[in-house]
Amino acid sequence: MTLQDLAKTAFGNLGRHKVRTALSAVGVTVGILTIVTMVSLGIGVQREIVQGFQSIGLETIEVRPVTEERTVFDQFADPKRTVIITPELVEELRARDDVVELRPRIFLGEGGMRVYLEVGGETTEVRVSEPVWWDSMNGPFAEPPKLVAGEDIVEGTQGDIVVSTRTLEKLGYKQFDALEGLIGQEVALVLVTPRSERQEFPLRLVGVVDTHTGTNYPGAYVGVGDAAALKAWWYNDPDLLIHEGYDSLTVKATSLNDATQIVALLEERGFQVSSLKTTLDIANKALSIVQTMLGSIGGLALFVAAIGIANTMVMAVYERTREIGILKAVGASPGDIRLLFVAEAALIGLLGGIVGTIVGWLLGLGLNEAFLIYFDYMDVPMRGTFFLVNGWLVALALGFAIVVGLLAGLYPAARAARLDPLEALRRA
Amino acid sequence: MDTVVRAVGLARRYKMGDTFVNALRGVDLEVTRGEFVALVGPSGSGKSTVLNLVGGLDRPTSGEVWIDDTELSGSDEKTLTRHRRRQVGFVFQSFNLLPRLSAEENVALPLMFSGVPEKERRARARELLERMGLSARLTHRPTQLSGGEQQRVAIARALVGQPIILLADEPTGNLDTTTGVEIMRLLKELNQEHGLTLLVVTHDPEVAAFADRVVRLRDGQVDA
Repeated sequence: MTLQDLAKTAFGNLGRHKVRTALSAVGVTVGILTIVTMVSLGIGVQREIVQGFQSIGLETIEVRPVTEERTVFDQFADPKRTVIITPELVEELRARDDVVELRPRIFLGEGGMRVYLEVGGETTEVRVSEPVWWDSMNGPFAEPPKLVAGEDIVEGTQGDIVVSTRTLEKLGYKQFDALEGLIGQEVALVLVTPRSERQEFPLRLVGVVDTHTGTNYPGAYVGVGDAAALKAWWYNDPDLLIHEGYDSLTVKATSLNDATQIVALLEERGFQVSSLKTTLDIANKALSIVQTMLGSIGGLALFVAAIGIANTMVMAVYERTREIGILKAVGASPGDIRLLFVAEAALIGLLGGIVGTIVGWLLGLGLNEAFLIYFDYMDVPMRGTFFLVNGWLVALALGFAIVVGLLAGLYPAARAARLDPLEALRRA
Repeated sequence: MDTVVRAVGLARRYKMGDTFVNALRGVDLEVTRGEFVALVGPSGSGKSTVLNLVGGLDRPTSGEVWIDDTELSGSDEKTLTRHRRRQVGFVFQSFNLLPRLSAEENVALPLMFSGVPEKERRARARELLERMGLSARLTHRPTQLSGGEQQRVAIARALVGQPIILLADEPTGNLDTTTGVEIMRLLKELNQEHGLTLLVVTHDPEVAAFADRVVRLRDGQVDA
């Protein structure tokens, strides 16, 4: 019997009982649908993460100063750093051949610090950040805010500021087509302490960014030099940078290999160092576990489906006993009979698998759309394809469906093959 | 003489519940090539059992069955399958056609298991059905055919593998007298014109009258 004969015969036999075949295949459909949806979520999210991290670069190293551990007695005291990122360290790293980019940062999130932006007599409170936001502030899923007027702050310069459209709205600006007129205007950041001490920092508005999606973005951006000046005034320490150093330092190495070496060097000096590669490794591992868990749920559904198929096939063997007798009388071997029934079972699996894969894919598309709408509604700046069905998944799902049918068909097929032809022929 | 079937001391014992039934108790039988032999006897005489043993659907409890130079009683399942596929063709009382297949497909079916390509299978089936006078019935399902037509399809199916011997078990049992005679004439014609060897089981003397030789069985033994 050729494969073509086998497929044709199996198809013909299943076609005789369309409803029964469909009902038996439903179990596989549910199982495969679950697996495809879940695993495609895993694949999609994993890819988003990998892409997100890769856009930042796996050669990127995050260096943090080390802060003295607090005890019960000094937990409210100012933090004391034991290992600090000094400007000297930054220069030392800058001199290295294997360093491509360096970004020392100052965080302006001190408790009680209130910052106001003054533009043309109008004032509003803002959250200020130094301009590293595009890539890391909102995580790898974030879409960077788009520059809609002017330009970005140039690294190393001082006295420039970029504000968001959201901030401008708060200041009463409604017409954004007139933004170009604002560029170059003198504005000011005003720091106010809880004791109402004020300090004005005059700055020049160089750019406007659109931050209409998402509330997590700061309202204004300044260069690291200005950030350091603001913080120095806040702590009333003109030499704050020398005493406390930078709050963080991002180092981008020429290659992953160099990055590993720099990590080792900095760790030796006592810094807290994390590279994206280590983070990615952990994220990947966690995702694999989630994927396996979700896949197992589908596996369970498939197990139940297999029992359903086996039941259908046992029934079919019983009903077709006489036919099996005839086939044996005209020269079908036990192997032919076994093959025929296994093929039918596998075909039920395949049919269920095809429907399951398609429905699972559609469900993923639908859920993805729902996620995006929900993110939009919640102002979460996340975009992307979180459910991804690739060729591998399709092949795997269909293969799995076939195997499930095949395994379910083994026992009924063996029973059919074992039937005594004479007794089978006697059956009405 | 060219012996096609040679059975020696054929015995077959069935277990029915707690008791054993001796269906055959030492039957000797020879059929030569081109011969038309009728096996007759009352029901329970063991005539169908002989046919099943010759056809390789069953194995004897003791004794030997030779078809050409193959001995069946000690053969494995593979040899029996090959024997059914290549050496014998069965015709049953109840036709035993597959209801979902057309006449042509039913006739072509045995060739599928011998690995004959589909095109050739269909051609051979069509040719045989035409010879049976069924050229207008190729695509009909068994339920759309009369009893006589069904039996002719069954005969065509039995012949499609070009067997050494055709085994027929009460081939006219489900047919009216006229149709039964037609079928027997067809078999006789195949025997006379094409040299087909026939072993036909019947309890009907009119059917047996078509045969060259009649072998009578009684209580599992050849009635001399």
